[in-house]
Amino acid sequence: MSKNNTVFRPRDLKELDRIIEQNVPPFTFVAGATDLMVQTERWRAAANLIDLTSVSELHETLGVKDSSVRIGAAVPYSRIIKNSVVRELLPILVEACRQIGSVQIQNRGTLGGNIANASPAGDSLPVLAVLDANIWIGPARNGKFTIKKIDEIMTGPGQTILGEKQYIAFIEIPFHEREGQFWAFRKVGQRSALAISKLNLAVLGWLNDGIVKDIRICSGSVAPQINRHRRTEEILRDKKPDEKLIEQACQMIRREISPISDIRSTEEYRRHTTAEVLRDILYQTFAIYDL
Amino acid sequence: MRISFIVNGKSVELDVSPKKRLLDILHDDLDLISVKEGCGKGECGACAVIFNGERVNSCLIPAFQTDGSEVITLEGLKELPGYAAIERAYVEHGAVQCGFCLSGFVVSTVAFLKEKKSPADEEEIKEKLAGNLCRCTGYTKIIEAVKDLSLQEDLRRQPEAEVSHYVKK
Ligand SMILES: Cc1cc2nc3c(=O)[nH]c(=O)nc-3n(C[C@H](O)[C@H](O)[C@H](O)COP(=O)(O)OP(=O)(O)OC[C@H]3O[C@@H](n4cnc5c(N)ncnc54)[C@H](O)[C@@H]3O)c2cc1C
Ligand code: FES
Ligand code: FES
Repeated sequence: MSKNNTVFRPRDLKELDRIIEQNVPPFTFVAGATDLMVQTERWRAAANLIDLTSVSELHETLGVKDSSVRIGAAVPYSRIIKNSVVRELLPILVEACRQIGSVQIQNRGTLGGNIANASPAGDSLPVLAVLDANIWIGPARNGKFTIKKIDEIMTGPGQTILGEKQYIAFIEIPFHEREGQFWAFRKVGQRSALAISKLNLAVLGWLNDGIVKDIRICSGSVAPQINRHRRTEEILRDKKPDEKLIEQACQMIRREISPISDIRSTEEYRRHTTAEVLRDILYQTFAIYDL
Repeated sequence: MRISFIVNGKSVELDVSPKKRLLDILHDDLDLISVKEGCGKGECGACAVIFNGERVNSCLIPAFQTDGSEVITLEGLKELPGYAAIERAYVEHGAVQCGFCLSGFVVSTVAFLKEKKSPADEEEIKEKLAGNLCRCTGYTKIIEAVKDLSLQEDLRRQPEAEVSHYVKK
């Protein structure tokens, strides 16, 4: 059998790290294979396959630990969607997972795969950004994982900072204040359930006495990387939202976007649509609080 | 590589290339021809099967991850007591034309009903069956068939995991 077809199915992190240590890269880490197996050329060439779904810690971890929610990188979306703790504490993450592919895809696809695949259209990425998630990268050294934020991992379409021997182990999401919290995740694509989204937007914020205490806005697929819109956030922060303020925010997000395409019509479409989606979210959110 | 797994309640062992698709193993090596290739890209659901208790598209499962698993295809689901009712609902609602998509839809329907505690509404059926495409019927009739089926409590409570139990008998 050709070397190309070597397969490892480690049972736990210890075995995974030993395999990485004792073999020569490149490795292909395989989780749900929903990206890998449709990338025909890459899949054909992939050597030294290392299954991550067989690694118990990566496939099973899903729950609360040290005032955060910890999720194994190889836990399929459908388990995240059904988990009662995640539903209670992280409804925005549940919403994003529900909008990824179809149920068949959700039963296989993983957060680790979505992050490592580094598509600017990855739907979990802007949500993990506004949730301020910590991405734990293995192998651990002396029990310590390398910890990065989501926007530090992707360097361009299909490109990440991950070394040949590195893998994503856990996604750790800190607890957030629930009082006054509002959130939204929207995507605009050709076919809602299956389209790789053309554009997505995640918003997470807090209102106190009708004042926006804090707000985080992140878009995906409009640019080569996900984009935190800090200047748009700045406009809304510490203000009492009204129609004028929302208009200002929508103007700013149009300016903050650097779209992926250099074709003008597509660029204008993306700017316009992002601003429309934001406007829609802000109106809906603040209407609830009786403006 | 040598893989062994359970298909419709029976153990099988095969020598296959690790990257071979579960779809090809089922359809070509095991003659389970209900499992069809539509798109080969995870989009159409024609190749849907139950894999370790969850519905998946078998065109996106590599052989090496199949080792040690349990797979149920439409051939296995036919042994369920409620299967006849599901097939009848599809036919009676005119939800079958060329029939190419049917096995995938039935697999998804069984998996969907299993998780339902109460009858389903149209929105929910649309969301949960969005991974199955049909070029002929325009979906309305399929949705009606599934809505009808979800009214039947005995179908909702029918875990497909019990299939292996029926097949073995
Ligand atoms: C029909 C269809 C619809 C889809 N719809 C959507 C959608 O709506 N939104 C969306 O965002 N995506 C969508 N996708 C893409 C895909 O399902 C997701 O990106 C998914 O999260 C990938 O996870 P996976 O476990 O299947 O990754 P895999 O295919 O197993 O891996 C993807 C890449 O990441 C690497 N990798 C995987 N896990 C790790 C890890 N822990 N550490 C390091 N590297 C790793 C692999 O080597 C590979 O390069 C769709 C795919 C299909 C086929
Ligand atoms: S052939 Fe597998 S989903 Fe279309
Ligand atoms: S009946 Fe022909 S594809 Fe559905």
